[in-house]
Amino acid sequence: MLKSISKSLWLLLFAVVICCIVYPLALWVVGQTVFPFQANGSIVKGPDGTPAGSLLIAQPFTKDEYFQPRPSAASYNGSASSSSALAASNYALRNRVATTLGPIVRYGSGPKDGQLVAPDIESWFQQDRFQDNPSILLQWADAHNSLAQAWVAADTMHAQYVTTWASTHGPVVEQFIKANPAIPQPQPSDLAVVFFETFSKEHPGRFPSLATHTDSAGKATASIEPAGTGTDIQSTFFDMWRLDHANVNLQNVPGDMVTTSGSGLDPHITLQNAMYQLDRVAAKWAVDTKRETGSVRIEIEALLREKAFAPLNGLAGEKLVNVLEVNLVLRNRYGVPS
Amino acid sequence: MDIWLLPVAILATTTVLAFPLSRYLSLIMDGKYLAPRMLRWFEERLNSGPQDWKQYVGSMLLFNTVLFLFGFAVLALQPWMPLNGDAKGMLAPSTIFHSVVSFMTNTDLQHYSGDQHLSNFSQIFFGLSNFFLSASIGFCGLVAIIRAFRSDAHLGNFFVDMWRVVVYMFLPISFVLGVAFLQQGSPMTFESSVQVSTLEHGVMGTTNKGDAKQQSIVVGPLAAFVPMKQLGTNGGGFYGMNSAHPFENPTALTNFLSCVAMMLFPFGLVLMFGRMLKRLRHSYVIFTVMMTLMIATVIWAVYYDTLKPNPGLTAHGPAQTFEVPSATAPGGRRTVTLPSVAPMPVDQHLGNLEGKEMRFGTSAGATFAALTVDVTDGAVNAEHDSLNPIAALSPMVGMWLNCIFGGKGVGMINMLLYIIIGIFVAGMMVGRTPEYLGKKIGGREAKLALIALLVHPLMILFPTGIFAATDWGIKAESNPGAHGFSQIAYQFSSASANNGSAFDGLGVTYGFANNPAPAPEAVPWDLAAALVIIVSRFLPIIAPIAMAAYLGAKKSAPYGVGTLRDDTVTFGFLLLGTVVIIGALLFLPVAALGPIAEHLGPIPFGG
Repeated sequence: MLKSISKSLWLLLFAVVICCIVYPLALWVVGQTVFPFQANGSIVKGPDGTPAGSLLIAQPFTKDEYFQPRPSAASYNGSASSSSALAASNYALRNRVATTLGPIVRYGSGPKDGQLVAPDIESWFQQDRFQDNPSILLQWADAHNSLAQAWVAADTMHAQYVTTWASTHGPVVEQFIKANPAIPQPQPSDLAVVFFETFSKEHPGRFPSLATHTDSAGKATASIEPAGTGTDIQSTFFDMWRLDHANVNLQNVPGDMVTTSGSGLDPHITLQNAMYQLDRVAAKWAVDTKRETGSVRIEIEALLREKAFAPLNGLAGEKLVNVLEVNLVLRNRYGVPS
Repeated sequence: MDIWLLPVAILATTTVLAFPLSRYLSLIMDGKYLAPRMLRWFEERLNSGPQDWKQYVGSMLLFNTVLFLFGFAVLALQPWMPLNGDAKGMLAPSTIFHSVVSFMTNTDLQHYSGDQHLSNFSQIFFGLSNFFLSASIGFCGLVAIIRAFRSDAHLGNFFVDMWRVVVYMFLPISFVLGVAFLQQGSPMTFESSVQVSTLEHGVMGTTNKGDAKQQSIVVGPLAAFVPMKQLGTNGGGFYGMNSAHPFENPTALTNFLSCVAMMLFPFGLVLMFGRMLKRLRHSYVIFTVMMTLMIATVIWAVYYDTLKPNPGLTAHGPAQTFEVPSATAPGGRRTVTLPSVAPMPVDQHLGNLEGKEMRFGTSAGATFAALTVDVTDGAVNAEHDSLNPIAALSPMVGMWLNCIFGGKGVGMINMLLYIIIGIFVAGMMVGRTPEYLGKKIGGREAKLALIALLVHPLMILFPTGIFAATDWGIKAESNPGAHGFSQIAYQFSSASANNGSAFDGLGVTYGFANNPAPAPEAVPWDLAAALVIIVSRFLPIIAPIAMAAYLGAKKSAPYGVGTLRDDTVTFGFLLLGTVVIIGALLFLPVAALGPIAEHLGPIPFGG
């Protein structure tokens, strides 16, 4: 027994020295001498000479001049990789995709071929009928309680708005408390569903949206106001609009554009996705550089095709583009986006 | 075309490599390989003399205890150890317990995220040390069984076996792979993180002072960590998202190498079994049965996940109304409507892309999902929670059968149990005394085999039932309906199969000990999963060693006309049937409640 204990300790000691000290140090020497770029995280410098990012780690881009990476369940946090972990059967997945699609989807045929669907979502919303029943907002809040609550929780201004509403709608709140004895002191998010129910009666065809006003002194103030147009409506109600218009032909959006990756840090998009974004990117750079859109588009398309590569030289999949790599070239070539 | 090329290439390459490897393995384990004099000094230092099966098992358990204490100390002392550039604190005690048990048993189920919770010191001295040692322990278990079957005078020496496996096999291959990973882009540094200012200013948000936030990128000794993670079928990720993370798996080539690396030893071990017993044809039959099952799981996963769109985004309908019995509704019946669902305008010709990375290739996520469970690796390169519901059946079946090549030695051991049971049943049916390797299988051997075999379903089904019925499970589920149940079943399957992959949405992470808002049921999950892991690891190694020792001690029966030959096609079908029927009978109800129910809809489920 004693002998076995001493042998166990020797084995552990030998193994730790060899596997945890000698072996990593040997690889570290190889890495830092032969492959220093990769060994330190494939960091590339920006135009100002400071590290701008890693070629292997996605970073967010919001400006229309840049190609945008896939959406990230990790908010592009390089120190907390994460997937969405949403099952196909989870409505949250469908809702997230619908929310992204609403403002960008275009008709695929018919008289409005190629035009954005968004304006029609707004006018449909203003008419306020869904599947032959009145009040879209009411039906939305009833069917998706958690989304209604998430709206209230998403922003302090939203919660504030509901609190103000509650103070002027005493009877409604009292009725809620009577129906839900477990919640004697409801928080704003508890009241989300009844709030939307009342709101839809008082403001048919309107959605509480953020509005910015500039007063005579030039000072901007933000507030929540009932609105009949805006991205909130386009994204939130696209799924319901789609149910009412199930047979309308729409242009498909590349799959990788609306799905989150496994790590949340996927640095690539498909070439197909990049081509889908090309019109927007080229048009915006053309404005910034005061050039003709067509020639800028040709230049950028050539860049995409030059940088595109396929996994295992095309044996395993379709062509991809590294988002940061391409955007870095655009930034160096065309300057600072306005 | 390219959809099937990748899995075929992976399977073919590994099979070809497994032949020379198995020859080298049997040379090493039979002591015929003479190491350089310097290394032999270590062997002599470790040799405690020839051991019988009880001594061998005793040494194995003792060494595991030492390994447990060492791992626990490393994690518990994390805040005070070097290489901790981001000043990471101490994990919650229950999580440390779970992690140490999980890593020392080759399971590597993680209730923490390496990038958020571990320092480089812990990654190396806890993670890497366990990668090498835990893989070797299962391996030695198999070697001991082979020697017992051969009726060797003794079973060799555990400590010498461990040394040979770690240093003569794992180290050199791991180093070569490490250089390849480096060249492809895996970092190899002892820094903790790199700060970069993004190309577009301020996109990561702003600090309280109004400055643009930087993107903080966790780096570390990846090139040393990842090869051994795969070679040892450990699968514990350096990052939370494991081999989906671009540093842990930078290109399609490293993904290919990862797949080959995790399958290489499980393939080689089956052939080594035949070589050491001088019954190569017998191990070809076993190999073929395993390969058949593996191909089936790969085809299933790729067909339903890569060649089919994500059903959450497609059209469903037309609307259907059902009347179902209900205890609460008036009249005892209630109508339920499956609504019609319109398609989302999304191009899904690349299959289900939710939770997939682009750079590995079209079918790489589904292929990896099937392979990683078959060989009980547990690394993932895609989010298994987001696999198409029916495709997720493939990894689950892989864990339930737990003998499709399986981990280091343990998968082959499980297959031996199926062989014993299969022969026993076949013997009963024809009314002959069952024999294996010329030894008569008696009641004691059959009992030991059954105990080892039944541990697995018991350790999956009981805790799954308990957790699914209580807050422990219900509060941890992150997806509604049948999928929530699948998450629980998957977690315990993964724990019991010593796998380590997970449906990541399940709320099991406590985090640091001072975390003010841990997952509400993290502690019961830590403890339950750790207990399942321990029981399901050690019983199925110890019982078969005992069984093999009893069997080996018997006199060899002469080979006769009535002997069931173990190197024929007939035997292959007998074995395949035993595996499939036992597996199907045990787990069909779980499959029906989980992935199959989810697949049948409604999708989406609820609001």
